[in-house]
Amino acid sequence: MKRYVILIAYRPWDWSSATPEVRQSYVDAHDAFQQYVDEHGAHLGSAALGDADTATTLRADADGARMVTDGPFAELAEQIGGYYDVELPDLDAAIAAARLLPPAYTVEVRPVIRIEG
Amino acid sequence: MTPDEALAATVREEWGRLVALLLAQFRRLDLVEDALGDAVEAGARTWPRDGVPDRPAAWLLTAARRRVLDRLRAEAMAARTRPLLVVDAEVAAALGSVRADPGDLVDDDVLRLVLMCCHPALAPEVASALALRLVVGVTTADIARLFLVPEPTMAARVTRGKRKIVTAGIPFGVPDASALPERLGVVAQVAYLAFTAGYAPGSGPDLLRADLSGEAVRLVRVTLALRPDEPVLRALLALLLLQHSRRDARVGDDGRLVLLPDQDRSRWRLDEVDEALGLLQGMPGAVTSQLTESYRLQAYVAAEHATAVTASDTRWDRVCEHYAALAALNPSPAVRLAAAVALAERDGPRAGLRALDDLDGALPHSHRLPAVRGELLARAGEPRAAVEALDVAIARCGNDVEREHLTRRRDELASRRE
Repeated sequence: MKRYVILIAYRPWDWSSATPEVRQSYVDAHDAFQQYVDEHGAHLGSAALGDADTATTLRADADGARMVTDGPFAELAEQIGGYYDVELPDLDAAIAAARLLPPAYTVEVRPVIRIEG
Repeated sequence: MTPDEALAATVREEWGRLVALLLAQFRRLDLVEDALGDAVEAGARTWPRDGVPDRPAAWLLTAARRRVLDRLRAEAMAARTRPLLVVDAEVAAALGSVRADPGDLVDDDVLRLVLMCCHPALAPEVASALALRLVVGVTTADIARLFLVPEPTMAARVTRGKRKIVTAGIPFGVPDASALPERLGVVAQVAYLAFTAGYAPGSGPDLLRADLSGEAVRLVRVTLALRPDEPVLRALLALLLLQHSRRDARVGDDGRLVLLPDQDRSRWRLDEVDEALGLLQGMPGAVTSQLTESYRLQAYVAAEHATAVTASDTRWDRVCEHYAALAALNPSPAVRLAAAVALAERDGPRAGLRALDDLDGALPHSHRLPAVRGELLARAGEPRAAVEALDVAIARCGNDVEREHLTRRRDELASRRE
């Protein structure tokens, strides 16, 4: 088993303006994903995140002074909206699971590494 | 054959199979390649002294296995997670589980290896390097030479690829039958990349690097042997063989480029042409995938050239038809450029020039576009404009032999009186 964090990114959109059918399709997709993970591995954690405009970033400037600013750490058209922390047999399984998520998502599959203490 | 030659020959012929077998047993890419390298070194030391073993490949396999087990044992010791007795029992179990290798199992393992090296999660140039290294057994130094990058760069690329395989968990396995055609398509693209780097290298002193193209052909052959009916592989191998068959005629004895119409056709490898035509004939009629159709149509074009007894026998009308079909499938600028050349052959230089007009925006750095334009302008009786176009081509051309050819042509045109 390998541990992966699956990062979900998408262009910000208005969930409240989606039709019930669209919302259901999203729910179904996430359900399918979680079912696949349960069948092939384990679900360790997950969260939906507030949109990027609710983010706060702490960054050191050129002089080393740490500054707190409004917004995400990188201004991109697509922003991280959620993650799953899962265990799955290999990358192909992780990709197969990620395919079940809504196609509007851009999904990054990142392996978790163990830091040897 | 001397022991050294026998060792080199065994490495050459068996590397992919050895890597695959070891991976199938131990699943530790990091350990397998090192162990195999050590085994080869051991062979280089002991075969001259003790004679070449009866079964050289089996000797290397056994030697490599021992080394992997030694390393696994050492790792277990270092981790101190289990008492000694248990470690020894595990090692014994691993040795005991050595299965006899009937052909099928080995073949499947080599396919697993090919698919692992050509996984879509690897960048194409990394996949090419890994496939040549692990499946075909080309040394990192030779791959670096073939792709014209410094050896440390290529070594780092291979290391990155192996690290990605291990860290991201790229599996050593064959996907579902439903996913296999698409994955074999990726294998085809990786091989094609390697072939093209050898067939038409963009830079450097060689017009072609037949060795690299030859290795790419070998990679496709290995994969096709495991999946003989796979259309994308048949079409690609046919295309590669047809292009590769001309390798001995593309450079003159003086080291200069020889254009297709001027090539000595007796130097073309007709056995490879025949093999390619056989592959094309045996293909299913139905359209399978865009990639397969693209290779097939390119192969048909190459076949028209290969079967023309002399350049003037070339059936340009058929070539144009194939390019039209190819452009409908994939209107890439490269296809359209090649189609313009064929059009000029069939309908005259003006027709070709008109077809080139729209391409400048799409190919701003290409040297081939202005080179073709220059050639067609010369044929159309406009040497001054031709010289201008060739100047652009020369400025953009990175390959020494091609540039030298373009320069000679330009100088020849410039010396004519209008």
